[in-house]
Amino acid sequence: MFEAIRHSVRGKAILLVLASTVSALALSALGLVLYDLRAYERQWTTDLTTQAEILARASAPALSFDDRATAAKDLALLKVRPFMLAGALYTRSGDLFATYAKPGFEPSFPPRPGPEGYAIQGDQLSVFHRVAEEGETIGTVYLVAYYRPWSRLLDYLTIIGLVMIASLAVTALFSGWLQSAITMPILEVARVAREVMSQRDYSLRARKTTDDEIGELVDSFNAMLAESGRRAQELRDADQRKDEFLATLAHELRNPLAPLRNALEILRMKNVDPASGEKARQMMQRQLAQMVRLVDDLLDVSRITTGKLAVRREPLALQAAVQDAIETVRPLMESRRHELDVSLPAEPLMVLGDRTRLAQVFSNLLNNAAKYTESGGRVWLSLEAQGGEAVLRVRDSGIGLDPHALSTIFDMFVQVDRSLERTQAGLGVGLTLAKRLVTLHGGTIAGRSDGGGLGSEFEVRLPLATAAVAGEGAQAPEAAAAVAARRLRILVADDNVDAATSFAALLAARGHEVRVAHDGAQALAIARSFEPDVAFLDIGMPRVQGYEVARRMREEEATRRTLLVALTGWGRDDDRQRASEAGFDRHLVKPPDPEEIDRILEGAAARTAPA
Amino acid sequence: MATVRALFAILLLGIAGLAEGQRTEATEASLKAAYLFKFAGYIEWSAADFESPAAPIAIGVVGAEDIAAELTRIVAGRNIAGHPVVVKRLSADDAARGLQMLFVGRDTPRAGAVARAAQSQGVLVVTDMERGLEMGGAINFVSLGERLGFEVSLESAERSGHRISSRMLSVARRVVPKAGA
Repeated sequence: MFEAIRHSVRGKAILLVLASTVSALALSALGLVLYDLRAYERQWTTDLTTQAEILARASAPALSFDDRATAAKDLALLKVRPFMLAGALYTRSGDLFATYAKPGFEPSFPPRPGPEGYAIQGDQLSVFHRVAEEGETIGTVYLVAYYRPWSRLLDYLTIIGLVMIASLAVTALFSGWLQSAITMPILEVARVAREVMSQRDYSLRARKTTDDEIGELVDSFNAMLAESGRRAQELRDADQRKDEFLATLAHELRNPLAPLRNALEILRMKNVDPASGEKARQMMQRQLAQMVRLVDDLLDVSRITTGKLAVRREPLALQAAVQDAIETVRPLMESRRHELDVSLPAEPLMVLGDRTRLAQVFSNLLNNAAKYTESGGRVWLSLEAQGGEAVLRVRDSGIGLDPHALSTIFDMFVQVDRSLERTQAGLGVGLTLAKRLVTLHGGTIAGRSDGGGLGSEFEVRLPLATAAVAGEGAQAPEAAAAVAARRLRILVADDNVDAATSFAALLAARGHEVRVAHDGAQALAIARSFEPDVAFLDIGMPRVQGYEVARRMREEEATRRTLLVALTGWGRDDDRQRASEAGFDRHLVKPPDPEEIDRILEGAAARTAPA
Repeated sequence: MATVRALFAILLLGIAGLAEGQRTEATEASLKAAYLFKFAGYIEWSAADFESPAAPIAIGVVGAEDIAAELTRIVAGRNIAGHPVVVKRLSADDAARGLQMLFVGRDTPRAGAVARAAQSQGVLVVTDMERGLEMGGAINFVSLGERLGFEVSLESAERSGHRISSRMLSVARRVVPKAGA
């Protein structure tokens, strides 16, 4: 019983009602009993005194005229009062005059009357009362009666007991009502909560039966269930998208491997004709570019999910980024025989931004336009200044977007049409990445479509840079172009011999003087004598790590001004941070993009050029 | 009967001695005097019985010198229903005028005529003789062996214009009801 009370709201409610009922009854009963015991005493003494007075009045003549028989008759009238035990009359001089005793009671009359007043002795109440006539005392009345407050108390306790039993019955009825009105809705909520937990079914709802606070509780509970259900669904969806993404990723990464292997086989053949060899090399280049793009996307996904995507803010003519993007997607456009209509303003539109990242945004948009348009379609790209903003629009004549899709296309891993051939599909992160990058540049991106089959349009708005900043940026490309052809001394250090040698060959082919090292110590030794203009250092080298090599090179006079470039397998921001702290000027992720290498070498040439 | 008792008492006294006998007589007289005074307390006096509110209750005593003496001693300084009480010794020939109560003693000559005359003048009469109530007494002493008793005639009391408290009737030996009752 007590367990039940402790663990159920209903039990507690009943206990509360019971406790208040019982304590209220007990307290009122105590008060009543105390009051009544007092009243009982007062009532009995008053009653007996009155009786004595009446008797005194009645027996005064008998006393006056010395009539014992009449006096005894008067006293005998007491027998109509069952509580009267005995009575006596005393004469004026104090002698016993007449007596009465209830049958069965053995009285002991005091030989002389006591002082007027009452006395309680055991269960007897006695009283002496003066008999007076014309103001003169002519005798005394003595009365003895039962005085039994305890029997009255017993009666009281019996009544209280009965009342309590009745109250408890009423309480039981009351608690029945209480249960249906208060605890039932709560129990209903608890039951639904248990069911939701055991069945994971968030569509269940508690029934609302009242409009009071408990009704509000039920409403809130249902609202929480709906919210939980929504979130659980979102988590499931996100999880599903991630699973699909992983499947896509595995597929995408595996796709280029077969053509690569085939091309490699062709190149290994002794008597391969030059045209076939060239075709194989081009194929390898395309497939490799695709793989690099995939891995880059993957790294970007990692940066987005960890919130570490960052962009540089340099003065930049938007036309350059647009041109980069067009170059990137040109092969795809040509292979699908799309017509690309480009409209750029003559004046450079200057923004503060990251050329590579903005080119990535634009190429993603162009890439999507190409992918989601039937072969032989048209793609329009326009750039213009509107107010303080640069507005870039990419429009196509493709499959378009339905309104429902418009709201989700910028979500991670969402792909509009999964039926597309996988070679075109990508990872489903392009627009997500585009949106983040544009946001990081302080701009906005929006999609628009007139519906399925009617094509779609994406619009990017970026804030234009101020005139002063724009002027400074505009000079830079010209200066760089002037010194592009300078011959540089370059050190390449990588413990992967193949990687180091092939990279060195690539650099040497561009007319630079190149030395190769395969560990950190060797790299330092060569650097001291060779005094390179640029050093590409792998980070994870044996004996001395890349970071340490960089630090020491910065300490030595001969290599203090060398442009240090870190090459790592990881492109996370804290890696960049560490490289920068060690003294590296740049940080590249393997495999390095040849265009990026060219830009770095151009920068180094400009730096080391005679003033 | 009282004579018998008195004789009996005298016989006893003869054995015990004369002095004792005199004291018994004196005790009876004082008892009767005390009763007379108490009777006055049980009469329901009305304003018409008195000339003024402060007028005394006058009790006349005829033919009982010893009782008159006792009564005079008893009433000294006592009031009944707010009235002082006075005792008047009268002879049988004196008029009962001005009295509220008259005690006709055993030694009164022509006791019956005295009692009737007083009754007709609105005086409450107390007698001490055989057939006292029939002779105009409202209250009459009777001897009950050792004890002194009395009888009441409501008829006689009414004739003199008086009411006697019913409380007193409870101890009366005999009550003669009113004429009409």
